[in-house]
Amino acid sequence: MIFREVEDRDLIAKARKGDVEAYNLLVSRWERRVFNYLLRLVSNREDAMDVSQEVFLKAYQSLPKLDDVERFAAWLFRIAHNEAFSLLRRRKPEGDMPPERGNQGRGLLPIELSLAVEKALGRLTEEQREAVLLKVYQGFKFEEMAEILSCPVSTVKSRLYTALDLLKETLCEVNHEL
Amino acid sequence: MSCEKFDWKAYTLGELAANERREAETHAATCEGCRGELAHVRLTIDTLSALREEEVPRRIAFVSDKVFEPRWWNVFLKPSFVAALVLAAAILMHGYLVRPPAVDEASIQTRVNQAVMRAVADVEQRNADLDRKVTTLYVATTGIVRQ
Repeated sequence: MIFREVEDRDLIAKARKGDVEAYNLLVSRWERRVFNYLLRLVSNREDAMDVSQEVFLKAYQSLPKLDDVERFAAWLFRIAHNEAFSLLRRRKPEGDMPPERGNQGRGLLPIELSLAVEKALGRLTEEQREAVLLKVYQGFKFEEMAEILSCPVSTVKSRLYTALDLLKETLCEVNHEL
Repeated sequence: MSCEKFDWKAYTLGELAANERREAETHAATCEGCRGELAHVRLTIDTLSALREEEVPRRIAFVSDKVFEPRWWNVFLKPSFVAALVLAAAILMHGYLVRPPAVDEASIQTRVNQAVMRAVADVEQRNADLDRKVTTLYVATTGIVRQ
């Protein structure tokens, strides 16, 4: 992890000097994480793909403005957060929620369990879901999350803890079926 | 019921400092309620990890791809293009404003004729001079005077 961070820092420095290949490598390293974060947030593969594209384009254009290369991950996810919520706000009137899937049966397969988790996440509010995505799936610290979401750490914890309580109830049923 | 003092979510999510973790673990060893709460949090987070990470369906366009290329109108805003445009305009303006004065065809013909006549006269003069020199040399060497 440490070596990876050092390499990222080096790539960022090169990309800021106009090294296109360095940025290409940076994209290939981060695209999967960013895409999956956006996918769970906007609940649509095509939208997640389009927003991912936009995120990396904006990141490239804004790279000279990045003050601290050590905070690249939080900075990149801040851009992703802004782009995702920009899309979600545009969608709002349609009440675009992820489609409901059928009830889970007994003896869930990994794919079914994955779908059950997806469904449980879909029941959360966007803010709660995003808190779970950033903490559980992306491993950000509370302070980094506060930076990404542009809100106090107390708000981050409140959203996350409420989400985990709700997920505990929902997923408890799923776990009893296993 | 777990004890209010201990934040088992923060513990499970790795947000506690080392000394806080040790204190929490010591407490959990003697508190059934907290062990139950910790088990629930862990189970929830473990279950969440069942969510499959998806592959990116197609590659993100890289810097060298078209999406990163400047828009067509950006080309016209480049300093080099603007400079070239100004230079071309200056050349055209100069060509338009600084035209040579109008000339009279007859006067040109007269000047050409005069120049030709001067040139012919010069050549005839040189030929005459050359003839005289040749004649003088012939007489000097042969003593014969040609009529």
